[in-house]
Amino acid sequence: MIELKGIHKSFKNLEVLKGVDLTVQEGQTVALIGASGSGKSTLLRCINLLETPDKGKIVIGNYSFDADNMKAAVKREARKRTAMVFQNFGLFENKTALENVTEALIVVKKMAKADAEEVGKQYLEKVGLLGKKDHYPNALSGGQKQRVAIARALALEPKIVLFDEPTSALDPELVQEVLGVIKNISKERVTMLIVTHEMDFAFDVADQVAFMDNGTILEVNTPKELFAHPKNKRTRQFINRYTQRFSYTI
Amino acid sequence: MGKIFSVEFMLEIIPDILKGIPYTISIAVVAFFVGISIGFFGAIIKIYKIPVLKKIVGVYVSFVRGTPLLVQILLIYYGIPILLRIINQQFGTTFDVSKIPAMVFMFAAFSISAGAYLTESIRAALLAVDKGQMEAAYSVGMNTFQGMTRIVIPQAIKVGIPVFANFFIGLLKDTSLAFAASVPEIMGRAKIEAGRASRFFEAYIAAALIYWGICILFERLVVVLERKVRKNEGGVEK
Repeated sequence: MIELKGIHKSFKNLEVLKGVDLTVQEGQTVALIGASGSGKSTLLRCINLLETPDKGKIVIGNYSFDADNMKAAVKREARKRTAMVFQNFGLFENKTALENVTEALIVVKKMAKADAEEVGKQYLEKVGLLGKKDHYPNALSGGQKQRVAIARALALEPKIVLFDEPTSALDPELVQEVLGVIKNISKERVTMLIVTHEMDFAFDVADQVAFMDNGTILEVNTPKELFAHPKNKRTRQFINRYTQRFSYTI
Repeated sequence: MGKIFSVEFMLEIIPDILKGIPYTISIAVVAFFVGISIGFFGAIIKIYKIPVLKKIVGVYVSFVRGTPLLVQILLIYYGIPILLRIINQQFGTTFDVSKIPAMVFMFAAFSISAGAYLTESIRAALLAVDKGQMEAAYSVGMNTFQGMTRIVIPQAIKVGIPVFANFFIGLLKDTSLAFAASVPEIMGRAKIEAGRASRFFEAYIAAALIYWGICILFERLVVVLERKVRKNEGGVEK
Protein backbone atom coordinates (compact mmCIF):
# COMPACT_ATOMS: atom_id res chain seq x y z
CA MET A 1 0.00 0.00 0.00
CA ILE A 2 1.17 3.50 -0.82
CA GLU A 3 0.06 6.44 1.23
CA LEU A 4 0.75 10.12 0.68
CA LYS A 5 -0.09 12.55 3.44
CA GLY A 6 -0.09 16.30 3.06
CA ILE A 7 2.51 16.54 0.32
CA HIS A 8 3.62 20.10 -0.35
CA LYS A 9 6.05 21.20 -3.02
CA SER A 10 7.01 24.65 -4.30
CA PHE A 11 9.37 25.72 -7.04
CA LYS A 12 10.67 29.16 -6.12
CA ASN A 13 7.46 31.11 -5.55
CA LEU A 14 5.18 28.73 -7.36
CA GLU A 15 3.30 26.34 -5.08
CA VAL A 16 2.70 23.26 -7.22
CA LEU A 17 1.45 20.79 -4.60
CA LYS A 18 -0.74 22.18 -1.86
CA GLY A 19 -1.14 19.30 0.53
CA VAL A 20 -1.92 16.15 -1.45
CA ASP A 21 -3.39 13.06 0.21
CA LEU A 22 -3.68 9.88 -1.79
CA THR A 23 -3.81 6.17 -1.05
CA VAL A 24 -3.12 3.41 -3.53
CA GLN A 25 -4.12 -0.02 -2.26
CA GLU A 26 -1.91 -3.01 -2.93
CA GLY A 27 -2.61 -4.48 -6.37
CA GLN A 28 -4.68 -1.53 -7.48
CA THR A 29 -4.29 0.63 -10.54
CA VAL A 30 -4.96 4.28 -9.89
CA ALA A 31 -5.19 6.77 -12.75
CA LEU A 32 -4.30 10.36 -11.98
CA ILE A 33 -6.03 12.77 -14.33
CA GLY A 34 -6.25 16.54 -14.53
CA ALA A 35 -5.30 19.52 -16.64
CA SER A 36 -1.68 20.20 -17.60
CA GLY A 37 0.08 22.11 -14.86
CA SER A 38 -2.17 20.76 -12.12
CA GLY A 39 0.81 19.05 -10.45
CA LYS A 40 0.28 15.42 -11.50
CA SER A 41 3.82 14.81 -12.73
CA THR A 42 5.35 16.68 -9.80
CA LEU A 43 3.38 14.48 -7.41
CA LEU A 44 4.68 11.37 -9.15
CA ARG A 45 8.25 12.69 -9.04
CA CYS A 46 7.85 13.39 -5.32
CA ILE A 47 7.00 9.75 -4.65
CA ASN A 48 10.32 8.44 -5.94
CA LEU A 49 12.04 11.61 -4.80
CA LEU A 50 13.28 12.91 -8.12
CA GLU A 51 11.77 16.01 -6.54
CA THR A 52 12.07 16.39 -2.80
CA PRO A 53 8.75 17.34 -1.20
CA ASP A 54 8.86 20.34 1.13
CA LYS A 55 6.39 18.90 3.61
CA GLY A 56 4.46 15.70 4.11
CA LYS A 57 4.78 12.00 4.75
CA ILE A 58 5.06 9.09 2.36
CA VAL A 59 4.45 5.43 3.18
CA ILE A 60 5.56 2.78 0.72
CA GLY A 61 4.61 -0.65 2.03
CA ASN A 62 6.39 -1.00 5.37
CA TYR A 63 8.77 1.88 4.66
CA SER A 64 7.75 5.37 5.63
CA PHE A 65 9.60 8.63 5.57
CA ASP A 66 9.08 12.28 6.18
CA ALA A 67 9.92 15.27 4.00
CA ASP A 68 11.92 16.67 6.95
CA ASN A 69 14.31 13.74 6.81
CA MET A 70 15.64 13.52 3.27
CA LYS A 71 19.06 11.94 3.56
CA ALA A 72 20.62 10.31 0.52
CA ALA A 73 20.08 6.90 2.13
CA VAL A 74 16.34 7.57 2.52
CA LYS A 75 16.10 8.57 -1.12
CA ARG A 76 17.86 5.38 -2.20
CA GLU A 77 15.62 3.20 -0.04
CA ALA A 78 12.53 4.93 -1.40
CA ARG A 79 13.71 4.52 -4.97
CA LYS A 80 14.42 0.84 -4.46
CA ARG A 81 10.75 0.41 -3.62
CA THR A 82 9.41 2.36 -6.57
CA ALA A 83 9.99 2.33 -10.32
CA MET A 84 9.19 4.98 -12.84
CA VAL A 85 8.17 4.91 -16.48
CA PHE A 86 8.93 8.28 -18.04
CA GLN A 87 7.18 10.21 -20.75
CA ASN A 88 10.40 10.31 -22.77
CA PHE A 89 11.24 6.66 -22.02
CA GLY A 90 14.54 7.36 -20.22
CA LEU A 91 16.18 4.21 -21.56
CA PHE A 92 19.94 4.09 -21.05
CA GLU A 93 21.17 4.97 -24.54
CA ASN A 94 24.46 3.13 -24.12
CA LYS A 95 22.82 -0.16 -23.14
CA THR A 96 20.91 -2.75 -25.15
CA ALA A 97 17.27 -3.52 -24.37
CA LEU A 98 18.29 -6.46 -22.22
CA GLU A 99 21.05 -4.50 -20.47
CA ASN A 100 18.55 -1.75 -19.73
CA VAL A 101 16.50 -4.27 -17.78
CA THR A 102 19.43 -6.06 -16.11
CA GLU A 103 21.56 -3.01 -15.25
CA ALA A 104 19.82 -2.13 -11.99
CA LEU A 105 19.35 -5.80 -11.06
CA ILE A 106 23.12 -6.26 -11.22
CA VAL A 107 24.26 -2.88 -9.88
CA VAL A 108 21.56 -2.09 -7.33
CA LYS A 109 20.13 -5.50 -6.40
CA LYS A 110 23.54 -7.21 -6.65
CA MET A 111 22.11 -10.10 -8.64
CA ALA A 112 24.54 -12.39 -10.47
CA LYS A 113 24.80 -11.49 -14.14
CA ALA A 114 23.42 -14.80 -15.40
CA ASP A 115 20.43 -14.65 -13.04
CA ALA A 116 19.76 -11.05 -13.97
CA GLU A 117 19.75 -11.99 -17.64
CA GLU A 118 17.23 -14.75 -16.99
CA VAL A 119 14.95 -12.29 -15.21
CA GLY A 120 15.56 -9.69 -17.90
CA LYS A 121 14.57 -12.04 -20.72
CA GLN A 122 11.46 -13.07 -18.81
CA TYR A 123 10.29 -9.46 -18.55
CA LEU A 124 11.16 -8.62 -22.14
CA GLU A 125 9.10 -11.63 -23.13
CA LYS A 126 6.24 -10.25 -21.07
CA VAL A 127 6.22 -6.99 -23.05
CA GLY A 128 6.69 -8.94 -26.28
CA LEU A 129 10.20 -7.74 -27.06
CA LEU A 130 12.46 -10.69 -26.37
CA GLY A 131 13.38 -10.65 -30.07
CA LYS A 132 14.79 -7.14 -29.67
CA LYS A 133 16.94 -7.89 -26.63
CA ASP A 134 20.22 -6.98 -28.33
CA HIS A 135 18.93 -3.78 -29.90
CA TYR A 136 20.09 -0.42 -28.64
CA PRO A 137 17.35 2.13 -27.87
CA ASN A 138 18.06 4.12 -31.03
CA ALA A 139 17.08 1.07 -33.08
CA LEU A 140 13.68 0.78 -31.38
CA SER A 141 10.43 2.59 -32.14
CA GLY A 142 8.90 4.84 -29.50
CA GLY A 143 6.39 2.19 -28.54
CA GLN A 144 9.09 -0.46 -28.25
CA LYS A 145 11.26 1.85 -26.14
CA GLN A 146 8.39 2.42 -23.77
CA ARG A 147 7.72 -1.32 -23.52
CA VAL A 148 11.38 -1.92 -22.64
CA ALA A 149 11.08 0.84 -20.03
CA ILE A 150 8.04 -0.94 -18.59
CA ALA A 151 9.97 -4.23 -18.50
CA ARG A 152 12.82 -2.44 -16.72
CA ALA A 153 10.43 -1.04 -14.13
CA LEU A 154 8.65 -4.37 -13.53
CA ALA A 155 11.87 -6.36 -13.25
CA LEU A 156 12.77 -4.38 -10.14
CA GLU A 157 9.63 -5.79 -8.49
CA PRO A 158 8.81 -2.48 -6.89
CA LYS A 159 6.01 -1.84 -4.42
CA ILE A 160 4.55 0.54 -6.96
CA VAL A 161 5.17 1.41 -10.60
CA LEU A 162 4.76 5.09 -11.42
CA PHE A 163 3.81 6.00 -14.99
CA ASP A 164 4.36 9.61 -16.00
CA GLU A 165 2.23 10.14 -19.11
CA PRO A 166 3.63 6.99 -20.70
CA THR A 167 1.98 7.54 -24.08
CA SER A 168 2.20 11.33 -24.51
CA ALA A 169 5.36 11.21 -26.60
CA LEU A 170 4.10 8.48 -28.95
CA ASP A 171 2.35 8.80 -32.26
CA PRO A 172 -1.28 7.73 -32.15
CA GLU A 173 -0.61 4.38 -33.80
CA LEU A 174 1.90 3.36 -31.14
CA VAL A 175 -0.22 4.46 -28.18
CA GLN A 176 -2.37 1.35 -28.25
CA GLU A 177 0.53 -1.10 -28.15
CA VAL A 178 1.84 0.52 -24.97
CA LEU A 179 -1.58 0.84 -23.36
CA GLY A 180 -2.17 -2.82 -24.20
CA VAL A 181 0.94 -3.81 -22.27
CA ILE A 182 -0.04 -1.68 -19.28
CA LYS A 183 -3.52 -3.19 -19.33
CA ASN A 184 -2.06 -6.69 -19.24
CA ILE A 185 0.15 -5.99 -16.26
CA SER A 186 -2.69 -4.32 -14.38
CA LYS A 187 -4.50 -7.66 -14.64
CA GLU A 188 -1.60 -9.22 -12.77
CA ARG A 189 -2.36 -6.93 -9.84
CA VAL A 190 0.81 -4.91 -10.02
CA THR A 191 0.31 -1.75 -7.96
CA MET A 192 0.35 1.20 -10.34
CA LEU A 193 -0.16 4.94 -10.32
CA ILE A 194 -0.62 6.30 -13.82
CA VAL A 195 -0.65 9.94 -14.84
CA THR A 196 -2.53 9.99 -18.12
CA HIS A 197 -4.54 12.04 -20.55
CA GLU A 198 -6.04 8.92 -22.11
CA MET A 199 -9.50 9.03 -20.56
CA ASP A 200 -10.77 5.87 -22.27
CA PHE A 201 -7.79 4.01 -20.96
CA ALA A 202 -8.28 5.38 -17.43
CA PHE A 203 -11.92 4.34 -17.59
CA ASP A 204 -11.00 0.89 -18.85
CA VAL A 205 -8.06 -0.05 -16.68
CA ALA A 206 -8.11 1.90 -13.43
CA ASP A 207 -9.68 0.65 -10.22
CA GLN A 208 -9.72 4.23 -8.97
CA VAL A 209 -9.44 7.54 -10.75
CA ALA A 210 -8.11 10.58 -8.94
CA PHE A 211 -8.81 14.04 -10.34
CA MET A 212 -6.19 16.63 -9.58
CA ASP A 213 -6.56 20.36 -9.97
CA ASN A 214 -4.38 23.27 -8.96
CA GLY A 215 -2.14 21.30 -6.60
CA THR A 216 -4.74 19.25 -4.74
CA ILE A 217 -6.71 16.08 -5.38
CA LEU A 218 -10.35 17.08 -5.59
CA GLU A 219 -12.02 13.75 -6.09
CA VAL A 220 -11.18 10.05 -5.99
CA ASN A 221 -13.67 7.46 -7.11
CA THR A 222 -14.21 4.40 -9.26
CA PRO A 223 -14.01 5.29 -12.96
CA LYS A 224 -17.71 4.62 -13.48
CA GLU A 225 -18.73 6.98 -10.71
CA LEU A 226 -16.18 9.67 -11.45
CA PHE A 227 -16.86 9.85 -15.15
CA ALA A 228 -20.64 9.44 -14.90
CA HIS A 229 -21.38 11.40 -11.73
CA PRO A 230 -18.54 13.75 -10.89
CA LYS A 231 -19.34 15.38 -7.56
CA ASN A 232 -16.99 18.34 -7.73
CA LYS A 233 -17.85 21.22 -10.03
CA ARG A 234 -14.30 21.46 -11.39
CA THR A 235 -14.21 17.69 -12.07
CA ARG A 236 -17.48 17.97 -13.97
CA GLN A 237 -16.06 20.76 -16.15
CA PHE A 238 -12.98 18.73 -16.93
CA ILE A 239 -14.86 15.51 -17.69
CA ASN A 240 -17.40 17.36 -19.82
CA ARG A 241 -14.72 18.91 -21.93
CA TYR A 242 -13.29 15.47 -22.61
CA THR A 243 -16.60 13.83 -23.41
CA GLN A 244 -17.53 16.72 -25.68
CA ARG A 245 -14.48 16.00 -27.77
CA PHE A 246 -16.14 12.85 -28.98
CA SER A 247 -19.59 14.28 -29.68
CA TYR A 248 -18.93 16.55 -32.63
CA THR A 249 -21.50 16.36 -35.37
CA ILE A 250 -19.76 16.15 -38.68
CA MET B 1 76.09 29.01 -51.51
CA GLY B 2 75.16 25.69 -53.04
CA LYS B 3 71.71 24.49 -53.91
CA ILE B 4 68.59 26.54 -53.26
CA PHE B 5 66.91 23.53 -51.62
CA SER B 6 69.04 20.61 -50.54
CA VAL B 7 67.00 17.41 -50.37
CA GLU B 8 70.13 15.55 -49.29
CA PHE B 9 70.55 17.77 -46.25
CA MET B 10 66.94 17.34 -45.34
CA LEU B 11 67.16 13.55 -45.53
CA GLU B 12 70.44 13.60 -43.63
CA ILE B 13 69.05 15.44 -40.61
CA ILE B 14 65.73 13.55 -40.40
CA PRO B 15 67.14 10.68 -38.27
CA ASP B 16 68.42 13.20 -35.75
CA ILE B 17 65.14 15.10 -35.65
CA LEU B 18 63.27 11.80 -35.17
CA LYS B 19 65.13 11.40 -31.88
CA GLY B 20 62.94 14.21 -30.59
CA ILE B 21 59.78 12.13 -30.99
CA PRO B 22 59.89 10.50 -27.52
CA TYR B 23 59.98 13.96 -25.91
CA THR B 24 57.14 15.23 -28.06
CA ILE B 25 54.94 12.20 -27.51
CA SER B 26 55.62 11.87 -23.79
CA ILE B 27 54.82 15.53 -23.09
CA ALA B 28 51.60 15.29 -25.10
CA VAL B 29 50.48 11.99 -23.57
CA VAL B 30 51.29 12.91 -19.97
CA ALA B 31 49.69 16.34 -20.33
CA PHE B 32 46.62 14.81 -21.96
CA PHE B 33 45.95 12.25 -19.24
CA VAL B 34 46.80 14.53 -16.32
CA GLY B 35 44.73 17.20 -18.06
CA ILE B 36 41.78 14.81 -18.42
CA SER B 37 41.93 14.08 -14.68
CA ILE B 38 42.15 17.77 -13.75
CA GLY B 39 39.47 18.56 -16.30
CA PHE B 40 37.12 15.91 -14.93
CA PHE B 41 37.29 17.31 -11.40
CA GLY B 42 37.06 20.85 -12.74
CA ALA B 43 33.97 19.93 -14.75
CA ILE B 44 32.28 18.18 -11.80
CA ILE B 45 33.01 21.19 -9.58
CA LYS B 46 31.51 23.52 -12.16
CA ILE B 47 28.46 21.36 -12.90
CA TYR B 48 27.60 20.74 -9.24
CA LYS B 49 28.51 24.37 -8.42
CA ILE B 50 30.58 23.42 -5.37
CA PRO B 51 31.15 26.60 -3.36
CA VAL B 52 34.67 28.10 -3.08
CA LEU B 53 36.18 25.42 -5.37
CA LYS B 54 33.93 26.73 -8.13
CA LYS B 55 35.60 30.16 -7.82
CA ILE B 56 39.08 28.66 -7.81
CA VAL B 57 38.36 26.62 -10.96
CA GLY B 58 36.90 29.73 -12.59
CA VAL B 59 40.06 31.77 -12.01
CA TYR B 60 42.30 28.86 -13.08
CA VAL B 61 40.46 28.32 -16.36
CA SER B 62 40.28 32.03 -17.05
CA PHE B 63 44.01 32.58 -16.41
CA VAL B 64 45.19 29.63 -18.49
CA ARG B 65 42.91 30.47 -21.38
CA GLY B 66 43.79 34.12 -21.15
CA THR B 67 47.58 33.77 -21.34
CA PRO B 68 49.78 32.28 -24.09
CA LEU B 69 51.08 28.77 -23.50
CA LEU B 70 54.63 30.00 -24.11
CA VAL B 71 54.26 32.47 -21.23
CA GLN B 72 52.92 29.71 -18.97
CA ILE B 73 55.85 27.46 -19.85
CA LEU B 74 58.34 30.19 -19.00
CA LEU B 75 56.48 31.05 -15.79
CA ILE B 76 56.70 27.44 -14.64
CA TYR B 77 60.27 27.02 -15.84
CA TYR B 78 61.51 30.06 -13.96
CA GLY B 79 58.83 30.15 -11.26
CA ILE B 80 59.20 26.68 -9.76
CA PRO B 81 62.95 27.17 -8.96
CA ILE B 82 62.10 30.44 -7.21
CA LEU B 83 59.32 28.70 -5.29
CA LEU B 84 61.74 25.95 -4.25
CA ARG B 85 64.27 28.54 -3.08
CA ILE B 86 61.60 30.16 -0.94
CA ILE B 87 60.62 26.78 0.49
CA ASN B 88 64.28 25.98 1.22
CA GLN B 89 64.74 29.31 2.99
CA GLN B 90 61.55 29.04 5.01
CA PHE B 91 61.85 25.43 6.12
CA GLY B 92 65.61 24.88 5.97
CA THR B 93 65.17 22.10 3.41
CA THR B 94 67.70 21.50 0.65
CA PHE B 95 65.83 20.67 -2.53
CA ASP B 96 68.19 20.99 -5.45
CA VAL B 97 66.45 22.59 -8.42
CA SER B 98 69.23 21.75 -10.82
CA LYS B 99 68.57 18.02 -10.30
CA ILE B 100 65.02 18.29 -11.61
CA PRO B 101 64.99 17.49 -15.34
CA ALA B 102 63.50 20.12 -17.63
CA MET B 103 60.94 17.54 -18.75
CA VAL B 104 59.30 17.58 -15.29
CA PHE B 105 58.65 21.30 -15.70
CA MET B 106 57.20 20.63 -19.12
CA PHE B 107 54.90 17.91 -17.81
CA ALA B 108 53.67 20.35 -15.19
CA ALA B 109 53.21 23.29 -17.55
CA PHE B 110 51.44 21.36 -20.31
CA SER B 111 49.25 19.45 -17.84
CA ILE B 112 48.09 22.63 -16.14
CA SER B 113 47.29 24.16 -19.48
CA ALA B 114 45.50 21.05 -20.78
CA GLY B 115 43.51 20.74 -17.56
CA ALA B 116 41.97 24.15 -18.02
CA TYR B 117 40.88 23.61 -21.61
CA LEU B 118 39.65 20.10 -20.87
CA THR B 119 37.62 21.35 -17.88
CA GLU B 120 35.45 23.19 -20.37
CA SER B 121 35.38 20.37 -22.95
CA ILE B 122 34.48 17.73 -20.38
CA ARG B 123 31.85 19.97 -18.83
CA ALA B 124 30.27 20.43 -22.24
CA ALA B 125 30.43 16.68 -22.96
CA LEU B 126 28.78 15.80 -19.64
CA LEU B 127 26.06 18.40 -20.13
CA ALA B 128 25.42 17.10 -23.65
CA VAL B 129 24.10 13.86 -22.14
CA ASP B 130 20.33 14.10 -21.71
CA LYS B 131 19.35 15.03 -18.16
CA GLY B 132 16.78 12.23 -18.25
CA GLN B 133 19.57 9.65 -18.25
CA MET B 134 20.66 10.52 -14.72
CA GLU B 135 17.02 10.68 -13.59
CA ALA B 136 16.42 7.25 -15.07
CA ALA B 137 19.48 5.97 -13.21
CA TYR B 138 18.17 7.44 -9.95
CA SER B 139 14.71 6.01 -10.61
CA VAL B 140 16.04 2.44 -10.70
CA GLY B 141 17.89 2.99 -7.42
CA MET B 142 21.39 3.89 -8.54
CA ASN B 143 23.39 6.48 -6.62
CA THR B 144 25.11 9.44 -8.24
CA PHE B 145 28.42 7.61 -8.60
CA GLN B 146 26.85 4.57 -10.27
CA GLY B 147 24.75 6.73 -12.56
CA MET B 148 27.78 8.78 -13.53
CA THR B 149 30.19 5.93 -14.16
CA ARG B 150 27.80 3.47 -15.78
CA ILE B 151 25.41 5.70 -17.70
CA VAL B 152 26.46 9.34 -18.09
CA ILE B 153 30.25 9.17 -18.52
CA PRO B 154 30.19 6.44 -21.22
CA GLN B 155 27.81 8.59 -23.23
CA ALA B 156 29.82 11.75 -22.57
CA ILE B 157 32.97 10.04 -23.85
CA LYS B 158 31.19 9.24 -27.07
CA VAL B 159 30.16 12.87 -27.48
CA GLY B 160 33.60 14.09 -26.44
CA ILE B 161 35.90 11.90 -28.54
CA PRO B 162 36.08 14.21 -31.58
CA VAL B 163 36.75 17.18 -29.29
CA PHE B 164 39.37 15.33 -27.24
CA ALA B 165 41.08 14.04 -30.39
CA ASN B 166 41.20 17.54 -31.78
CA PHE B 167 42.66 18.79 -28.55
CA PHE B 168 45.30 16.06 -28.49
CA ILE B 169 46.43 16.95 -32.00
CA GLY B 170 46.75 20.56 -30.94
CA LEU B 171 48.69 19.48 -27.90
CA LEU B 172 51.10 17.38 -29.98
CA LYS B 173 52.02 20.42 -32.00
CA ASP B 174 52.14 22.79 -29.04
CA THR B 175 54.92 20.65 -27.59
CA SER B 176 57.18 22.46 -30.06
CA LEU B 177 57.13 25.30 -27.52
CA ALA B 178 59.02 23.11 -25.05
CA PHE B 179 62.24 24.10 -26.81
CA ALA B 180 61.89 27.42 -24.98
CA ALA B 181 62.90 25.41 -21.91
CA SER B 182 65.66 23.70 -23.91
CA VAL B 183 63.92 20.32 -24.21
CA PRO B 184 65.37 18.62 -27.31
CA GLU B 185 62.06 17.70 -28.90
CA ILE B 186 61.34 17.66 -32.65
CA MET B 187 61.31 21.41 -33.17
CA GLY B 188 64.29 21.97 -30.91
CA ARG B 189 66.40 19.50 -32.85
CA ALA B 190 65.29 20.99 -36.17
CA LYS B 191 66.35 24.44 -34.99
CA ILE B 192 69.73 23.16 -33.88
CA GLU B 193 70.33 21.40 -37.20
CA ALA B 194 69.11 24.45 -39.11
CA GLY B 195 71.51 26.73 -37.31
CA ARG B 196 74.41 24.33 -37.69
CA ALA B 197 74.25 24.30 -41.52
CA SER B 198 72.38 27.58 -42.01
CA ARG B 199 69.76 25.64 -43.95
CA PHE B 200 66.59 26.69 -42.16
CA PHE B 201 63.95 25.89 -44.73
CA GLU B 202 65.06 22.26 -45.16
CA ALA B 203 65.09 21.69 -41.40
CA TYR B 204 61.63 23.16 -40.89
CA ILE B 205 60.18 21.22 -43.82
CA ALA B 206 61.60 18.07 -42.23
CA ALA B 207 60.04 19.00 -38.88
CA ALA B 208 56.71 19.77 -40.53
CA LEU B 209 56.65 16.40 -42.31
CA ILE B 210 57.41 14.58 -39.07
CA TYR B 211 54.64 16.37 -37.15
CA TRP B 212 52.25 15.71 -40.00
CA GLY B 213 53.17 12.03 -40.07
CA ILE B 214 52.55 11.63 -36.33
CA CYS B 215 49.20 13.37 -36.62
CA ILE B 216 48.09 11.19 -39.55
CA LEU B 217 48.89 8.07 -37.54
CA PHE B 218 46.96 9.47 -34.62
CA GLU B 219 43.96 10.37 -36.76
CA ARG B 220 43.82 6.76 -37.99
CA LEU B 221 43.80 5.61 -34.38
CA VAL B 222 40.89 7.93 -33.56
CA VAL B 223 38.82 6.60 -36.46
CA VAL B 224 39.18 3.06 -35.08
CA LEU B 225 38.41 4.22 -31.57
CA GLU B 226 35.36 6.16 -32.65
CA ARG B 227 34.00 3.22 -34.58
CA LYS B 228 34.33 1.13 -31.45
CA VAL B 229 32.61 3.64 -29.17
CA ARG B 230 29.82 4.29 -31.64
CA LYS B 231 28.97 0.64 -31.97
CA ASN B 232 25.50 1.17 -30.52
CA GLU B 233 24.54 3.41 -33.42
CA GLY B 234 24.43 0.39 -35.66
CA GLY B 235 21.45 -0.50 -33.53
CA VAL B 236 22.24 -4.10 -32.65
CA GLU B 237 24.89 -5.61 -30.40
CA LYS B 238 27.07 -7.87 -32.52
